[in-house]
Amino acid sequence: MADFSWNVQSPLQQALVPGRHGGAGTQVGVTLEEVRGVSLVQVMARRGRVAETIKAAKKLFSVEPPDTPRAVSGRNATLIWSGPDQFMVLSARQTGDQFAKLTAGFAGVASLSDQSDGRCLIRIAGSGARQALAKFSSLDLHDSVFPAGAAATTAVDHTAVNFWREPGSVDENAVFNMLVFTSFADSLWHTILDSCLEYGVQASVAHAA
Amino acid sequence: MSGYSRSEPLARTAPMEANVRKGVTPASQSHRLPGDGIIDRRLPLQFSFDGKTMTGFAGDTLASALVANGVKLVGRSFKYHRPRGIVTAGSEEPSALVEMRTGARREPNTRATTQELYDGLIANSQNRWPSLRRDFMSINQLFAPIFVAGFYYKTFMWPAKFWESIYEPMIRRAAGLGKSAELPDPDHYDKAWAHCDVLVVGAGPAGLSAALAAGRAGSRVILVEEDTLIGGRLLSDGGEIDGLDAREWLRGAARELVSLPNVRIMTRTALFGVYDGGTYAALERVSDNVAMPDRHQVRQRIWRIVAKRSVVTAGAIERPIVFPGNDRPGVMMASAVRTYVNRFAALPGKRVALFTNNDDGWRTVETIERAGAHIVAVIDPRHEVPAQYQRLVDTYDLRVLAGVVSEVKGGVDGVRSIVVANDKNGLTQRIDTDCLAVSGGWNPNVGLSCFHRGKPTWREDIAAFVPGSAPKGMATAGAANGELSLSACLREGHGAGARAAAECGAAGKPGEASKADDEVYAIAPLWHVKGKGKAFVDFQHDVTASDVTLAQREGFESVEHLKRYTTLGMATDQGKTSNINGLAIMAEATGRTIPETGTTIYRPPYAPVAIGAFAGHHRDENFHATRLTPSHHWAAKQGAVFVDTGLWKRAQWYPRAGEKDWLETVTREVLAVRNGVGFCDVSTLGKVDVRGADAGVFLDRVYINSFSNLAVGKARYGLMLREDGIVYDDGTTSRLAEDHYFLTTTTAKAGPVMQHLEFCRQVLFPELDVQLTSATDQWAQFSIAGPNTRNLLRALADPSEDLTNEGFPFMGAREVKLRGGVTARLFRISFSGEMAFEISVPARYGAAMAENLMIAGKPYGVTPYGTEALGVMRIEKGHVAGPELNGTTTADDLGLGKMMSKKKDFIGRVMAGREALTAPNRQVVVGIKPIDKARRLRSGAHVIPKGAIPGPQTDQGYVTSVCFSPMLDQWIGLGLVERGRERTGEIIRIHDPLRNEDYEAEICSPVFYDPEGVRQRG
Repeated sequence: MADFSWNVQSPLQQALVPGRHGGAGTQVGVTLEEVRGVSLVQVMARRGRVAETIKAAKKLFSVEPPDTPRAVSGRNATLIWSGPDQFMVLSARQTGDQFAKLTAGFAGVASLSDQSDGRCLIRIAGSGARQALAKFSSLDLHDSVFPAGAAATTAVDHTAVNFWREPGSVDENAVFNMLVFTSFADSLWHTILDSCLEYGVQASVAHAA
Repeated sequence: MSGYSRSEPLARTAPMEANVRKGVTPASQSHRLPGDGIIDRRLPLQFSFDGKTMTGFAGDTLASALVANGVKLVGRSFKYHRPRGIVTAGSEEPSALVEMRTGARREPNTRATTQELYDGLIANSQNRWPSLRRDFMSINQLFAPIFVAGFYYKTFMWPAKFWESIYEPMIRRAAGLGKSAELPDPDHYDKAWAHCDVLVVGAGPAGLSAALAAGRAGSRVILVEEDTLIGGRLLSDGGEIDGLDAREWLRGAARELVSLPNVRIMTRTALFGVYDGGTYAALERVSDNVAMPDRHQVRQRIWRIVAKRSVVTAGAIERPIVFPGNDRPGVMMASAVRTYVNRFAALPGKRVALFTNNDDGWRTVETIERAGAHIVAVIDPRHEVPAQYQRLVDTYDLRVLAGVVSEVKGGVDGVRSIVVANDKNGLTQRIDTDCLAVSGGWNPNVGLSCFHRGKPTWREDIAAFVPGSAPKGMATAGAANGELSLSACLREGHGAGARAAAECGAAGKPGEASKADDEVYAIAPLWHVKGKGKAFVDFQHDVTASDVTLAQREGFESVEHLKRYTTLGMATDQGKTSNINGLAIMAEATGRTIPETGTTIYRPPYAPVAIGAFAGHHRDENFHATRLTPSHHWAAKQGAVFVDTGLWKRAQWYPRAGEKDWLETVTREVLAVRNGVGFCDVSTLGKVDVRGADAGVFLDRVYINSFSNLAVGKARYGLMLREDGIVYDDGTTSRLAEDHYFLTTTTAKAGPVMQHLEFCRQVLFPELDVQLTSATDQWAQFSIAGPNTRNLLRALADPSEDLTNEGFPFMGAREVKLRGGVTARLFRISFSGEMAFEISVPARYGAAMAENLMIAGKPYGVTPYGTEALGVMRIEKGHVAGPELNGTTTADDLGLGKMMSKKKDFIGRVMAGREALTAPNRQVVVGIKPIDKARRLRSGAHVIPKGAIPGPQTDQGYVTSVCFSPMLDQWIGLGLVERGRERTGEIIRIHDPLRNEDYEAEICSPVFYDPEGVRQRG
C-alpha cells in the first residue's frame, strides 16, 4: 500500500519570498511576516446565551471576550472581536484537537466554526508600517484612534479582513495583524508587498508559539 | 515633517555636473536677474524645449526657465493656432501647455507653470506643424468666421456620413491639443488614505496661520499645498509680518510647523475634490519633478483625506482683462510678472507696460523698477493714481495713462507695442513695450466651497464672487474668502484654524495671529475693452468676447448654455481665468447684473488628474484581487490552463504534449473519468457552516425542499428561490450533526447567497437560534468521479472505513480517516453522473491531497480534469448550472418543480405561484441535438419551429449550454424552449444570425447519458 504524506502548504507558499525586498541599500522600513501554525476558531453565542458564552470564555482563557472592536490577550490565546456576540480565538496550533476542546468548552452555549485554514495571518510592523498600510487600508491608525489592542473588521482591496493592533505594542513598535481569506492571500500579499517596497521590506515566515 | 512630505525642493534633483564636465556650454540665460530669487544657482539644470538646449536652475519651473531664457512663444492655440506665451505662474495657466517627456512617458497639456525643472527635462510645444514659428494651421485665423461659437453644430451638419470619415479626423488633426503616449504607461501610481482633525488647503499666509493655530492648539493637522514650496504669494510679493521680512517670517512659520508632531505638511499635493462625510481627494505629484520615478516609487499618488474640519485657504486667481490682442505672447498677468521676477529672478520683459484697474496691480511697478527694468507706462482706467502709490509716480517718474489698452501689436516673438485709448476723449497713443502686465482684479478660489452645489455670492467692493455656503465642516479664510490684504489673511486664517481645532476638541492655546499693516484694495471693474481684433475670454479654448455675445444673440443666455455652446471654461483649466469674465460679458449683453447672471455649477476635479492616478495599483495583473484554490500551484505544475471564474483562477483543462487543441484534451479527460477515475478541485464552491438548534428549520425556510428531516450523515440537493419566485441558487447540503449542517453553493453565487442567508437570519427570522460562518476557504474540496472511484478511495482511506454501497450509500456524508493520519469529510454526491465522491480536507492539505489522489489512483490511470470536462459531464447528465439558473427561470422551468414542498412555507413560494410563472407556454429546459451529427451547436442560437420565418413572433427559446459529448460523439446542448417537455422528438430550426448559421435539431430529454442513474448509484 502506498505511503501518503500530508505536507502542509501555506497559501503564501509561492508569494512569500523570505528576505529583503525593495527600498534602497539595506534599509528596512517594514517587516512583513506570515504567521503559520495557528489555530483560529470563530465563536458565536447561541441565541440568548451571550452571558454563558462570556463565562465559558473566561473559564477557558481567564479573560472576558471583547464586546467592542478590540483584541484581548488571554491564557494561551488572543480573543478578537468580529461582530456582535461573536469573536475569534487565535492560538498556536497544538498536537491535540483544539477545535474539539473548544467545542466541549462552549458546548450548548455557542456555535463554533474552525477557520484555522480559512484565514492567513499576516503581520506588518516597522517605522514605515503605517505609511504602507495607508495605501491599502482606510483605517485611521493614529495612537489616539487605534491604540494597542484596537480591532476592526474592514476591507483590503475590496476583500474582508480582520485587523487588529497587537495588544501591548506601542509607538514605533506597533504591530498590526491581518487575517485575510486563504484564497485571497497570494493576491493580497502582492498588493501589500508592492505598497511596502519603497520603504524596504524584510519578509519572513514565523511560527505561532 | 512626516515621511511623505517632500517639501525640500532640491533633494531629488540631480545636478548637471556630468554635462558641465562634458563641456556643454549652458546657453545664456539672457533674462536671468542677478537678484536673489528662490532658486539654487549652484545647481544648474539643462533642459530642452522644441529640441533647443537651454539651462535653468534648481527651483525653476519650466515656465520660469523659459522666461529666464527669453522665450516668449511656447505654443499655438486650440482653434486658431495663434501664437501663445506664458500667461500666469500657477496651476490656473490656460496657455503655456506643453508635451512633457517622450515615448511611453509622453504627457500632453502639461502646464509649464507647474512643471518643476529637472536635469534632462524634455518638453515640446504642441498643436503646431511643422514648427512652432511657422505653423501651417495658423491659416485657420483667415477662416475665423467659421470657427465661431457653435461651429461644430453649424458647420458639419451634412452629409451625416461624412462625420466619422472626414469631419472628425480633420477636426481632430487641426484642433485638439497635445498627443498622448501610444504605449502603456511604464510608471506606477497608487492611492492612499490620510486622516486628521483639521485639513488646511493652501499654504499661503492664511493657510500657514490656520495650520499654526490649529497645530498649536493640539489638533491633528494636514496642510496641503500644490506648490513645491509653502508660502503662497509671500514667495512672490513679500511684505512685512510681525516686523520681519515676509521670507524670514515664512522660515520661522515653517520651522514651527515642522516642530509640531501633530502637523503634517504635504507639498506638491493639490486638493481636487470634496466628498461626503468630510472626505477630500488630493493628487500628490510624487515624481513629476524627475525624469523617471525612483525604483519602487510611484509617479503620482491620490490621497483620500478624511478630516473632521477643513479650512480652505486656497487663495485667489488674478483675473485677465478682455481686450483685443490680449493673447499675444508677452501679455502676462501682473502677479505672474512679479512671481517670475521676485521668486525666480527671471525677467519677462525689459520695458514693461502695466494695465491695471485695481490697486494690487500697482505692486508690479516697484518689482520691475527694482529689478533694473523699466515701467514704460501704467494704464489705469480709473483716472486716478491710488494714494498709496503716488510716491512711485514721483520716484520712478512714471508715465500714467488714464484709459485702456485697445490693441496689441507684435509678432510670434510677442508684444512690440500697445495702443492705449483714452476712454473719455477717444484719443489713442502707441507705446513700445516687450511685456504687458495685466491685472483685472482677483477672483477668490471658490471652487472647493461650491462642490456640494454651494452658490458663491457677489461682493461689489472687490468685484468678485466669494464663497456662499460651504460644505459641512468647511470654513474659508483669507483671499479664498475675498479678504485680499495680507493682514486680513493672517488674522482670518488664524481665527479659522483656531475655531476648527476647538470644534475638534483641541484644548491647547492657538497663540496669537501674526500681524501685518492693513493695505487698501480698491478696484473699478473692467471686463471688456471693445475694439477691432480678437479679444480672448478663454485662452485655452479660444473663446472670444464676440463668441459670448454671438451666443447671447442666438439665444444661449443661461451660463450653462453659454458654456456648452461656446465651450467656455470646458478646457483642462476649467475656466479658472475665464469663467467670470465670460459671464460678466454675458451680463452686459443681456442687461443683467453679474449675480443675476450667476455662475455655472462647480464640480471636481479642481485640477486635471490623470486617469492612471485614479486606477492606482489596480492595473494589469493587479486589476482586481484574485483567488487561488488550494491545489493551484500543483495544477500549474501539471501544466493546467486556468480560466477566470469571478475572482477565482480555476484549472480549465490539463493539456498533454501532442494534443492538438483543447477539445482533444477535454475529450480525453471526460473519457478518463467515464472509463476509469478522475478528480477536479471544486474548492471554489461556496461553503457555509450552519449551526444552532434551529438550523434545520432555518434551511426549511430558505430552500424549497425540506432539510429538518434530513438524517445526520446524509446529503441532499437543495434549491433556493428569490423572494420573487425565481430560482436563486442550488447545491448540496449535508447534515453533519443534529445542530450542524454544511451548506454548499455555486461558485458564482457564494458571496450573494451568504449575504442572503445572513439577511434571512438577522432580519427575517431573528427568533431562530442559528449561526452562520463562511467556510469556503477553510476546506480544500475535490470531486473524485468514475467507476474506479471506490478503488482509489480504498487505497487512500484507513482500512477501517467501510466504503461499500451499504457502508457508504449514495448521498451519504461523514468523516473518514485517511492513511497518514488526516481526517477528511467525504460526501457521496455526483455532478458527473458517475460513481463519485467529494472529499474535503483542511486547505493546508489541499496540495498534498492532489498529490495523494494521483498516488492512490495511479493503478487506475487517475486523471485530473478541469472545469471544461466538468461542464461536459454535467451537460451529458442534464444537470442545470449558471446558464440555466440565469435569473429568469423557475424551479419548474428547470424540471425541478416537484421539489417544491407543499407541506411548509419557504422564501419565494407565494410569488412562484404567479400566473406568468406557472404559464403552460413557459420556456423550459430540454436537450437539443443537431440532426447533422457533424454540426457544432453553439450557445445563444435561437430556437424556432421548423419551417417558420425567424423573428420575434416565432422565437421560442434559445440554446443555453453546449458541449461536444464524447459519449454521444456529437455536439449536444441544453436549451430553454417553449413547452419544451411536451415536444420531445420534434425537429426544430436552430437560427443563429450572429454566426450566420441555420440548421435543424431535435428536442430530446436533457439527460443524454445514463438516464436511469445506474452509474452514480453503483
